[in-house]
Amino acid sequence: MVNKLERKIKTAYYMEIPNIYEGNYKLLIALPLALIVLSLFFIPKMLDNKGVDFRGGVFVTLRTNESIDTNMLKEKLIEAGFKEPTVTSKDMAGGSKSIEIEIAQDDRLARAEVLKVDFFDKLDQASLLESELLTNRSTQAEYNKARTELNAIADETFQIAGSNQRADTFTNLNVLRKSISESYVKINSDYQAKISATIDKYVKYDNLSSDVVSANLSQKFISTAVWIVIASGILTSIVVFALFRSFVPSVAVLIGAVADITIAMGAMGLFGVKFTLASFAALLMLIGFSLDTDILLTMRVMKRKEGTPMQRAFEAMKTGTTMSIAALVAFVTLFILALFTQIPTYTEISSVAIAGLVGDMFATWCLNAVIILWFVEKKEGVSHTHHSHPHGTHIAAAPAPKTSNLTSIFNKRD
Amino acid sequence: MTSIQELLKDTKVLAVLALAIIELALVWFYGGAMLIPMIPVFGILTWLWKDKHITILALFIFVFIALSSFGFTYIKTGGEKFFYAGIDFSGGTRIPVLLDTPVTDPTIMDEMIQTIKQRASSFGGLGEIRVRAIGNSEIHVELPNSDPAKIAEVQSLLAQQGVFLAVVDGKVALSGDDLFPGTIGKIPSQYLNGNADWGVAFSVTQSGASSFAQIVNGKANYPLLMFIDRPTDSILLISKKDLTASTLAQRDVVITDDEALSLAKKSLELDTDPIELYLTDDFDSYKDTLVPKTNKTKAIISSNTSSEIKSALRSKGFTIIEKTDDDMSPKYSVSRSGPAASNSVNEWPAIGLLSAPRLVAEVTNGIPNYGYTITGPAEGTGTQRTINADMNARKIDSILKGGALPVQISLGSTTTIPPSLGSDFLRASVIGAAFALFAISLFVALRYRTPKVIIPIILISVSEMIILVAIMGSFAIDLASMAGIIASIGVSVDAQVVVTDELRKKDQIDPEKKLEKAFSIVMTNALVAIVAMIPLFLFSGLVEIIGFASSHILGSLLGVLISRPAYGAIVEWFFEH
Repeated sequence: MVNKLERKIKTAYYMEIPNIYEGNYKLLIALPLALIVLSLFFIPKMLDNKGVDFRGGVFVTLRTNESIDTNMLKEKLIEAGFKEPTVTSKDMAGGSKSIEIEIAQDDRLARAEVLKVDFFDKLDQASLLESELLTNRSTQAEYNKARTELNAIADETFQIAGSNQRADTFTNLNVLRKSISESYVKINSDYQAKISATIDKYVKYDNLSSDVVSANLSQKFISTAVWIVIASGILTSIVVFALFRSFVPSVAVLIGAVADITIAMGAMGLFGVKFTLASFAALLMLIGFSLDTDILLTMRVMKRKEGTPMQRAFEAMKTGTTMSIAALVAFVTLFILALFTQIPTYTEISSVAIAGLVGDMFATWCLNAVIILWFVEKKEGVSHTHHSHPHGTHIAAAPAPKTSNLTSIFNKRD
Repeated sequence: MTSIQELLKDTKVLAVLALAIIELALVWFYGGAMLIPMIPVFGILTWLWKDKHITILALFIFVFIALSSFGFTYIKTGGEKFFYAGIDFSGGTRIPVLLDTPVTDPTIMDEMIQTIKQRASSFGGLGEIRVRAIGNSEIHVELPNSDPAKIAEVQSLLAQQGVFLAVVDGKVALSGDDLFPGTIGKIPSQYLNGNADWGVAFSVTQSGASSFAQIVNGKANYPLLMFIDRPTDSILLISKKDLTASTLAQRDVVITDDEALSLAKKSLELDTDPIELYLTDDFDSYKDTLVPKTNKTKAIISSNTSSEIKSALRSKGFTIIEKTDDDMSPKYSVSRSGPAASNSVNEWPAIGLLSAPRLVAEVTNGIPNYGYTITGPAEGTGTQRTINADMNARKIDSILKGGALPVQISLGSTTTIPPSLGSDFLRASVIGAAFALFAISLFVALRYRTPKVIIPIILISVSEMIILVAIMGSFAIDLASMAGIIASIGVSVDAQVVVTDELRKKDQIDPEKKLEKAFSIVMTNALVAIVAMIPLFLFSGLVEIIGFASSHILGSLLGVLISRPAYGAIVEWFFEH
């Protein structure tokens, strides 16, 4: 009885799915193309939905059991002068809440950063000119000019720091330098203190974690990320071309990967998954995942000889989808964990991976497969109709005689 | 069936076991990271020998060593933890410090890290501060503390320079404000005169020049004690052992304990704020009379000082500043042939004394001068000498600049996680990882419905998880690496599906051939996965996600070199029995 049921499930899993490549398989391409077009529509939204990693600013997460009026908090943050604050409340397991507050990069902070770099750039030159003055009066004009420039930068820094010091009252450049360093620190710590003061005033919480990303750091993240994407693209292309040593299959594999990343990015835009370092890492991982199935397909179809190309493609699809599902199981678990705990790193990585793995099924089995089959057919000069079987008939070859213990075990139940 | 005795006779097995013992020792000394080089070593051996027993044995050894590494960490941390966790899990604050210009010279980077560490630890009460370089344009400072006031303190410390002070015979001869920062610089070797190997020039302000001339008048051969952040309002307690430790190491310095004590006391003199020295060996004789001058008086002691002394000082109202034994030991510069006045302590990190050049007669005649040079000899021969000269010059240069970091830095970024939240994250992640394993096992069970496949897959997944946690946990596991480990398990099962499906095919092909075919796909997949992630390392600096990339890449490597071959062998073994 049990055995029969098992067989039924098993049969359902392996046997009754018709080979999608028999018949006019080229139509399959419509599915991924539609998805890609849809994704292209959502990608701008995704690129716009950057987390603090990439746009700079402050990201605060509070854990609390109290209910919080997110609109009120947002109003208060705007009142306090914070730029473009957003406040979202998410439920966690056990009834507590995770409140996420995001504040855009403060213009004055960004300006202070620029001023500081400028000041230290010009300081040494001014100091050198000052020392020359002790023995040589002819550089007076040059020194005055350098000092005036330095004073202008310093005065602006003092103004941002809210101090009423004036740079021209400093006779010693060392003392001025110290004051500038202090002001620079004060600007940053005052800002952070103001954020926590505002939050403390209106919200009761159990604990608070914060992520502050300066304009410089977010700039660095972006440029690093761009370089990584370029390098990753070049390296994987080289590997793929080296593997297949044939233009069309290589390009097909790469198209499959690009399509997958596009779909994943579109899904991020659609579902509002933030673009952060974590989701960026997940996208990078998708290159590997998507190439996995693409390569499996291409190798099976191009380099093997058993059955027809369509049969080989379908066999590959069965293995490939099982692979993808195995990976999906891991990421769905991570996603569920993220739902309970509201840990942003987990939410972002798992949702991007899930979107990518699902997208990959379409990109690989409907887009890449079509290109490869079309290429093989053209090369072999045979039409797929010669080998086609009616839907639902046997897919694998007839049961083989036992060759060894190893194979026989797998075949035992069939 | 091969018996254990027979196995032990096999030289290959013995070789692998010997490697395992070496590896175990390495892991004891250097942590679970030592498993990384073992992956290719064992991978190549199993691939060359193609011996099923060895393949399985290799995986077994990895799991065993990984488990041992948890035990080792547990012992080393005094029963506190099984692996190291980043601030995501342990709580704390990370301050990424961006360098305005990239530092490509590793020695300069190292100096910067040492400077930051030293200055941060002079604060006291911050706990263990971790400072590390991230690529060549970023330094991370991590403190196990999420108190905003402490963070602000550290930030201001990072942004500011140290206070430079030069003392001659107990009086301030020069202060940082007297120097023109733009004029401090190394002298090119062609301009050096005499037998100096290196030199640093600097100019002083008018007022600085006249006070310097006055203070050093008639003090030829006296040391110019150069301090950075000399402790104020402090006393120093030192053991005789620390006081004379360096005289044993410096073979050219032969001095008695009494001489050492008097030189050390001399270097602590300053008319406005002397540091009193006490020997911890005689603590009982003076402990009752010891009282802090103010309510902020600091007591500088070695961290190895007995806890009774520490608590006695604390109860008297001293703020304890702990230093390592290394920092506590003064280094002496003594010459029997030269004038007695020139003998002195040359370096004493505990009090910020970093160098003590001697004053030459020309500068001690009482006449003010605007430009000065500090020159000196170098050690070694050939390029070694050039490098040493450069190092010495750079050290003096950096001291004169107030221990300034050689490049400007920018702050303004922090990540703070309270410890309670960190432990919540850790608990959730462990549960999540367990669930992921369970879910994947369930999926595999439904898919293959034969324990001969299910058990090996679960075994392999658990093994990989253990090994990855051991490796990543020897650095510091964070959220990203945890996500990477869970992802790796998914990928690992993924590959085992390829192998299994290939073996299940009903045709006449020899299973060995099938395995080979399957492995060619699995290898390619791993290669592609690694290549796609590798650029994350080429452009290091994204610490927030590097853990994810590392565990993903390590997972792929481990899979392809160790656990996939073991899976093939185990599956086969299962069917044979």
